[in-house]
Amino acid sequence: MVRNIVILGGNSHPALTENICNILGLPVSNRTLSKFSVGETRCEIKDSVRGKDVFIIQSGGGSVNDHLMELCISTWCHMSLTANLEEPVLTLKLVISACKTGSAKRVTAVLPLFPYSRQPDLPYNKAGAPLSKPPTEVPKDKYTFESVPATPAPGIAHTPSFNKDTDLSRAMSRTSLTNGHGPVNGTSRVNGESSTAIDQTPAPARPGLTTLHTQSFTTHDLQNPTLINTFQAKPGYKRWVAQAGTLVADLVTCAGADHVVALDLHDPQYQGFFDIPMDNLYGRPLLQRYIQQNIPDYRDAVIVSPDAGGAKRATAIADSLGMDFALIHKERRPTRITDRQNATMMLVGNVANRVCILIDDLVDTANTITRAAKLLRKERATVVYALITHGVFSGDAIQRINLSAIDKIVVTNSVPQIEHRKLCPKLDVLDVSPVFAEAIRRIHHGESISVLFQYD
Amino acid sequence: MGDMANEIKLLSGNSHPVLAKLVADRLGIDIAKTLSLNYSNQETSVTIGESVRDEDVFILQSTAPGDINDGLMELLIMIHACRTASARRITAVIPNFPYARQDKKDKSRAPISAKLIANMLQTAGCNHVITMDLHASQIQGFFNVPVDNLYAEPSVLRWIREHRGTEDVVIVSPDAGGAKRATAIADRMDRGFALIHKERPRPNVVGRMVLVGDVQDKVAILVDDMADTCGTLAKAAQTVKDHGAAEVIAIVTHGILSGDAIKTLNDSCLSQVVVTNTVPLGDKVERCSKLRVIDISPTLAEAIRRTHNGESVSFLFNHAPA
Repeated sequence: MVRNIVILGGNSHPALTENICNILGLPVSNRTLSKFSVGETRCEIKDSVRGKDVFIIQSGGGSVNDHLMELCISTWCHMSLTANLEEPVLTLKLVISACKTGSAKRVTAVLPLFPYSRQPDLPYNKAGAPLSKPPTEVPKDKYTFESVPATPAPGIAHTPSFNKDTDLSRAMSRTSLTNGHGPVNGTSRVNGESSTAIDQTPAPARPGLTTLHTQSFTTHDLQNPTLINTFQAKPGYKRWVAQAGTLVADLVTCAGADHVVALDLHDPQYQGFFDIPMDNLYGRPLLQRYIQQNIPDYRDAVIVSPDAGGAKRATAIADSLGMDFALIHKERRPTRITDRQNATMMLVGNVANRVCILIDDLVDTANTITRAAKLLRKERATVVYALITHGVFSGDAIQRINLSAIDKIVVTNSVPQIEHRKLCPKLDVLDVSPVFAEAIRRIHHGESISVLFQYD
Repeated sequence: MGDMANEIKLLSGNSHPVLAKLVADRLGIDIAKTLSLNYSNQETSVTIGESVRDEDVFILQSTAPGDINDGLMELLIMIHACRTASARRITAVIPNFPYARQDKKDKSRAPISAKLIANMLQTAGCNHVITMDLHASQIQGFFNVPVDNLYAEPSVLRWIREHRGTEDVVIVSPDAGGAKRATAIADRMDRGFALIHKERPRPNVVGRMVLVGDVQDKVAILVDDMADTCGTLAKAAQTVKDHGAAEVIAIVTHGILSGDAIKTLNDSCLSQVVVTNTVPLGDKVERCSKLRVIDISPTLAEAIRRTHNGESVSFLFNHAPA
């Protein structure tokens, strides 16, 4: 039993909050997080938090923007609350500084999956010029490995979903993908074009869940090529996608968080976006333990990084377990101009007749990982495991994995995985709550958390 | 070169492109090329298709019911993107300020979310805010940057003069908080005023109502800043009708009309419901024959033009541009 801690869970991942509370021997704090009928988030905290050390747990999966607002408002709740207890007539700003120096304790935002931590840029070639020509031939009816996933970028057509002539998909159509955290539909609209383009755009359809077949699986309206084609940057201007990383860091700070805890940030540099202490925990010990306990003769297996960016993460595991390492390199040079996303993949290292373990931090559309697995299988790997910290599985990722050469995919529950497990027999889930519980306990007691970084 | 840089760049979020188009047409400019998408993992992405360097950027984003948080995040990202793209000044044009009703600590541990939104906008890099009929004008004090709170009142007055005349009219405020707004209109029209006092046990639920003032045989015009689920409006209309009003009309600035609002309005004794187009109405006009819409884009456009040229905006507080 740890005293004077209040643990609050957002709506994104109540199961994880509950696990963490159980480990710490605490009740989950009583709160209401709902929405007014207009769609504004409403937060009410039922328990007193005066002088307490508050931890707010909110993950990044599902309807990210709603969850982010929830986090900010609950954090804000604490700030204004403590403010009011101190001195109701003072202006808010004064009181916040008063409660920070005074009796009020801190508010820590625990974000197992940090939202907006990975914002891909537009596709570009080696000289830095954008590859603005959209792929001309997109298979409309067949799902293949060459299909481009719903990679978030303008000009890239989204992957067609399964259709009924695939046997597997017919089997899967009995299970609807209602994974409980909001619709998978998105909206998009092109501005600055003719008014007809605006009028044609359907009203944003939010509520209601999409099943696999009834509505073709749009992650955004990129399936409507006219919409994308109407969006052209002004001549001479290189269009660019806004990178929201710093903004999110600033917003969380601005809501009043004093401390942020995250797990396996996509870029470790992200810590530098914050002016407040930020602890980046590692999922590595969990993955390492899984390898040691669940993979027979793991010392003969090969750790593979599916792209150059994750090489460091993968080599760290390979080094500490004394295993071999291989790397898949994505050649950006397009082989055919019509197929620019079909980057050639090159394997560096030997995997023939061996067990391969792919290591990455995040699987979203699962394009990289499934293509890597395909390549490994082609290079005569015997078994392909994929060990990944965050399993977002957006779009048609689950189907992609089910069809892929991956034999076993292991993720942590930093994002709710219950629905994913139902759909993917290859999926194993590791529990990260002990890591967070221990980090929370140590942060609360002012103990060092660097022990959590030592794995060996 | 003077006309090359520092021009008005109007960007529009996804929430209300129709209003943005009206404002842009009024200003005689094109909406800047932007593309916002929802990623498959439901994160928002914004692409800007033209240079905003050293320009005077205005970003128009309203609040589409149900999509508030997405719209807000989109606005924040757009502001941030323009800031990192070296815009000279970034003005957020938010006709209907989100979370405006969460503006006070009405009970223990209630967040003042409006202040949080104000902080977030400034954190993102907003230099100026233009909004309309704030739920409480004190929200302006939540900001450290200039906030222009425009009024729909001149447009509303014109609508009344043109469509109803001012004979036999009495202005009714459906709650005590809106009394000031309603009296202002009553004064400008030199007509009578009445007030309804209500008890509200929970949010979005309306309790008992008491009418103060005389509405006998008059055309009662209920005036309020926003109509959400319309429970208040319908009950207020019934109260006014029960006190002998000949006809009841509602004029509301922000017609959010969420939930069962349309059904409530159709079933109510209101003969007309007049809203402005600060909030996207979608197909609600077709679903509710009582609904009338006042276009306030001229006011917004004029405010943008005056802000850009460094002219006074206060003229707009009393006059609606034709």
